[in-house]
Amino acid sequence: MSTIATAEHETTASLDEATKTALHRLLRAIADNKLLLGYHYGEWTFGTPVLEAAVANCSLAQSELGHLRLLDGILKKHFGDDPDALLADRAPGAFANVSYLDHDLPGWTGCVAMTAVVDFAITSLLDALHDSAFRPVRQSIDKMLDEERYHVHHGRGWLRTWAARGDEERAALALQLGAALAHVAEWFGPTGEADDQALVAAGIKTRTNEDILQAVQAEMSSLAADVGLSLPEAEAADFGAWTPANRRLGSGGPDGEILSHLRGDRNDLFKLG
Amino acid sequence: MPTDNIYEVFARKSHDQELKHVGSVNATDDDLAKAYAWTVYDEETWVEMCVVPRTAVIPVTGHGRIPVWGN
Repeated sequence: MSTIATAEHETTASLDEATKTALHRLLRAIADNKLLLGYHYGEWTFGTPVLEAAVANCSLAQSELGHLRLLDGILKKHFGDDPDALLADRAPGAFANVSYLDHDLPGWTGCVAMTAVVDFAITSLLDALHDSAFRPVRQSIDKMLDEERYHVHHGRGWLRTWAARGDEERAALALQLGAALAHVAEWFGPTGEADDQALVAAGIKTRTNEDILQAVQAEMSSLAADVGLSLPEAEAADFGAWTPANRRLGSGGPDGEILSHLRGDRNDLFKLG
Repeated sequence: MPTDNIYEVFARKSHDQELKHVGSVNATDDDLAKAYAWTVYDEETWVEMCVVPRTAVIPVTGHGRIPVWGN
């Protein structure tokens, strides 16, 4: 196999405009996922089937929000973003998270599907940035992947555990895993998407989104088969309205109530003066 | 629901220290045992952590009895 040498980038100054824009959008999208994953893990520090899962989710929430801070630092330094404004001022439809995270999760089954599928998909994308030609990203990835290892263990463990709990849980789990996979496929976007091609060509990503999605789907199929679950067939999506800015098939975005919590709107009531 | 198993947790803070027993977790499989061990016993920055199913631990002491004369 031959390898193509790609230039190393310390800053965005050496990137062409299209690649810089593509990288900016991708990092914002990853950061949005970290924000929403952190929120949902935080919500699921209560009501878990066992206490250990609550402790684990608390830790997972902290690591997701820690990763968000790392990404915010890169977005601020290299792209001039104001992380506070990104959260406070954007309309819901501008958030580029996986749409499975837009609403409250459908019970513990949904939390398991989020961990096993959505969190795993974003981690798989981070893995494709491990050898990135954009050094500021590459330098942050090891820490994130080290911590995500335990998210993957938690997702796999609970997928197996919940599948063994009973028929009702198995049916709900198959449904939610299928739904989460469909939302993840939406997020990764159409085959040959221009931003993705630019990032791979520049060596910023080492695998295309299509490759990553296929690997995620194969892993989920394998895990599901191990516990005798059959996942719903994926339906072909119409990517006509999809853009790399918000990575959605149509309008949408996180619930107003979720954004209100994340923005701390109600804290304003307690401000003095 | 699968049965919980007990896993003993061992960890070390630096490479020149010995592994120490830091606690235990209940988990239905090895994946969850790893996740629980890492998230429950996260008060230190461990350089190594491992879990061992309690069923794999071979007792050496005899619960206060001397292993001779059949007692």
